[in-house]
Amino acid sequence: MSDTTSVDPVALREEVKKKYREVAIKPNGTYHFHTGRALAARLGYDSKVVGDMPDDAVESFAGVADPFSLRDLNVGDRVIDLGSGGGFDCFFAAGKVGSTGRVVGVDMTEEMLEKSRSTARAMGLSNVEFREGILEKLPVDDNWADVVISNGVINLCADKRQVFAEIRRVLKPGGYLQFADIANGKPVPPSAVANVDLWTA
Amino acid sequence: MIEDSGFVEVRIGPPVDTFDGAKGEPNARRFEVFGYAFIARKP
Repeated sequence: MSDTTSVDPVALREEVKKKYREVAIKPNGTYHFHTGRALAARLGYDSKVVGDMPDDAVESFAGVADPFSLRDLNVGDRVIDLGSGGGFDCFFAAGKVGSTGRVVGVDMTEEMLEKSRSTARAMGLSNVEFREGILEKLPVDDNWADVVISNGVINLCADKRQVFAEIRRVLKPGGYLQFADIANGKPVPPSAVANVDLWTA
Repeated sequence: MIEDSGFVEVRIGPPVDTFDGAKGEPNARRFEVFGYAFIARKP
């Protein structure tokens, strides 16, 4: 995961929105990544919990690993999900933190926000909310969260140092950042890094 | 980068073959791209 890039951050953000707008509207389309229940099973999520979720909660899931695999959440935790998409990880977290906890999903794609909010209402979840925002400027107060999670999204941000600074700001002292993301073992050529189309293809 | 941002106790989980069988598999193989779980604590 490189921290600085020559890519245009605004163009990259628009390209990411375009891609994930598609995933929200056409979750069963063909993408360069897997989606939905099959992906959740591949990544090792608890099959009983996923099986109890409605299709709308799972079908647009496009994560890359399990952010809960190295540490579980506690009842009562306040959790922020960066790039919450269709809300899958938020719904998963909501069950773990219970009615005394709270989960805030942050996403910049309108169609994903509409979908996750609608699904939360249908599931009757009162401990989850979704806010519009970007990872470089989180719509959350300082020192609010016990845990910050994310799944396959930080790699799509041009300014990763700013993202980690924001995560540090919103976490309480002693709080945990537990996220999933991709990393490459071989270097990607600078020409490819500067090509916005390749970030989401 | 995570430690440079002020986090401690950084750990990384085992690689997950996230793109196996997906359309993006050739690029993933070319650059040895895998999914990982990360954890870190704010002191």
